[in-house]
Amino acid sequence: MIECRGLTRRFEGRAVIDAVDLEVARGELLVLIGASGSGKTTLLKMLNRLIEPSAGTIRIDGQDTADSPPHTLRRRIGYGAQRAGLLPHLDVAANVGLTPRLLGWDAQRIAARVDALLARVQLDPATYRHRDVTALSGGEQQRVSLARALAAEPPLLLLDEPFGALDPVTRDALQEELRSLREELGLTVVFVTHDMNEALLLGDRIAFLEAGRVVRVDSPAALLRNADSPGIDAFLRAPRRQAERIEALLGTSEEGA
Amino acid sequence: MSGWRAQWAELPRYLAAHVELTLLALLIGLAVSLPTGILASRRPVLGRWVLAGASVLQTIPGLAMLALMVPALAALAALTEGLGLGSLPSIGFLPAVVALALYSVLPMLRNTVTGLVGVDPALIEAARGVGMSPREVLWQVELPLALPTLVAGLRTATVWVVGMATLATPVGGTSLGNPIFAGLQTRNLSAVLLGSAAAAVLAVVLDGIVRLAETGFERRSRARVGAAVALLTAIAIAAVGFEASRPGSGASREGPPLTIGAKSFTEQYVLAKLLGGVAERAGAGPVAQVSSLGSTVAFDALVAGELDLYVDYTGTIWATILKREEAGVDRAAVLAEVGTRLYEDHGVVLLAALGFENTYCLAMRGAEAQAHGIGRISDLVPIADRLEILGDYEFFERPEWRAIESRYALGFREERAMDASLMYEALRTGSGDVISAYSTDGRIEADGLAVLVDDRGVIPPYDAVVLASRAFVERAPRVAAAMRALTGRIDARAMRRMNAAVDLDGRSPGDVAADWLAACTGTSGVCEAH
Repeated sequence: MIECRGLTRRFEGRAVIDAVDLEVARGELLVLIGASGSGKTTLLKMLNRLIEPSAGTIRIDGQDTADSPPHTLRRRIGYGAQRAGLLPHLDVAANVGLTPRLLGWDAQRIAARVDALLARVQLDPATYRHRDVTALSGGEQQRVSLARALAAEPPLLLLDEPFGALDPVTRDALQEELRSLREELGLTVVFVTHDMNEALLLGDRIAFLEAGRVVRVDSPAALLRNADSPGIDAFLRAPRRQAERIEALLGTSEEGA
Repeated sequence: MSGWRAQWAELPRYLAAHVELTLLALLIGLAVSLPTGILASRRPVLGRWVLAGASVLQTIPGLAMLALMVPALAALAALTEGLGLGSLPSIGFLPAVVALALYSVLPMLRNTVTGLVGVDPALIEAARGVGMSPREVLWQVELPLALPTLVAGLRTATVWVVGMATLATPVGGTSLGNPIFAGLQTRNLSAVLLGSAAAAVLAVVLDGIVRLAETGFERRSRARVGAAVALLTAIAIAAVGFEASRPGSGASREGPPLTIGAKSFTEQYVLAKLLGGVAERAGAGPVAQVSSLGSTVAFDALVAGELDLYVDYTGTIWATILKREEAGVDRAAVLAEVGTRLYEDHGVVLLAALGFENTYCLAMRGAEAQAHGIGRISDLVPIADRLEILGDYEFFERPEWRAIESRYALGFREERAMDASLMYEALRTGSGDVISAYSTDGRIEADGLAVLVDDRGVIPPYDAVVLASRAFVERAPRVAAAMRALTGRIDARAMRRMNAAVDLDGRSPGDVAADWLAACTGTSGVCEAH
């Protein structure tokens, strides 16, 4: 589905993304993970040309993304911005319906699509349709953002730390939501996070970035079996320890029962 | 207070013109500052220069800005005419609109830039992310989000322009400044008050309408925005409609058969009405008056063909148009020279010298002059070191004073500059001995002052002369002949009395001129109505 070759991005002479080769298969959920400044968000934004590559190519379904104007490219790719990025001067329905409107869908079709999507992300259309987006909670905003990314029925979804600022319960609910959505719609998803727990739970494969390079791409299970670099090991230490603690706690409580 | 009713009747005309001026200037200002601001917000370096430029424009005093527009537009008009694109009017509505539009740019430009730069970059990226083109991002995200700041700039500009538009009057644009300027000169405070109050009310109303639109945008209420737009449109239509429905409308812009100018002091108002009356009796069609013009604005307008007639003074022309500096020149010689040079170099015809001079002169209390036997400036010389002289703001800086001082070897005990109206008051109450009076000031008669003869002839002659454009003289020979017949018909005493009738008795310039016409038409020689 996506094929990156020698992808490079330089800011002021420094390579933020350095000769990255990466493939994403159709229907796969690839997680980009790494420390702050590793280049994971830059790499994601290069996929829909929010950031233009300095060198290298990106092909989506075999087509070079440099061949079409950036905004028409983006209308075919769902995008969920960090901190939701809802436009405060538009209500919920107008935010969700943005891309279909840009594509020239008629009003009726947009309205029907918006209602269906709101229902799909567990927001009652009648209640939420005309709500002011600034009055929504963080979780509600992310749901609206997810619905907006899906609005024009894109086969590919790019999500930039979508659940970063949410409380754990809401985050868990939305992760579940995403999982079921992508199964239902057969979506290909590229997902940026700095949270290894999230990466392990959601990802089919995880791409680990260090200083602008993809140092390893592997399945969660393979990563857990063999970290094979100090950087990855450090990222895995926390989830492992937490899992062991929880397991131990579960064990003692079962013994007590 | 007969002045009230007359001013009240004229108010709708001033108000309509003021509204037209304000709204058009704001519209042009908006059309300039919005795209400039958008461009500036995208190029920080350019933005800094543009904002600095707009700030400099803002520091030019309002009256200077409007006055500068006249020569600027005259130069532009010469250029467009040279290119065969037709001519531009350099006085009246156009210079006022251009200057006001320039003034309105800074607040709107600054707020456009501030508003756009202040939009959260994350939102712009999100908008690009969902597939908006740069143009769509601008119109659907950046401008709507910057709108509250934009509207705040518009409100500031609105209030500024309404106030500043009163300064359109000295460049020949009709506005609420007309009653204010005329009232100040003729000491008609009710007119000043009426003009100011009307401008204040207009500012409050327009500000209220813009604020209505602002809250409409904030609350996303189409009804409010719609109401604001409807109100504004209604006001604009009412103003334009009123102007258009007036008989002889568009007169000031398209040039009626006869346009008479007046500078901004009482004598000029009276004489402009008087010339108008003479012209009507000589069979001229409708007469338009453009009053309260700045001093050189009137001459420029005459040369540009936007005025047909006005009264100027030989000394003024001598110094400012002919750029001559020599003093002590014979009155008749100056008159002849001015007439020749104006005709040959500027295409202006000197039709008549009315018979009086309006010049600086030295005056003192009549009783005192008599007691000391002082009738000439020379008589002051032996006693000057015991006397105090009072002058208006500019007198002691003027060539006339330097000539008097050096040629008569006069040394006063003290020189004090002050406001002209206070000067007469000070002389009356004995806190000064000699003043720099204007020779046709009504207060000379009223206060019983003695005007001292300039026996060495050092003060340049300031003969009041009727000037016309050559084109006008050819177009209306009968009216020109009637103007020529005014030669020598008004002397200094007659002019002083007419000025006094306005300044001291509170009569209108039109009434005073009508009295003169009623009494003097058909007579010959120096004539007075009283």
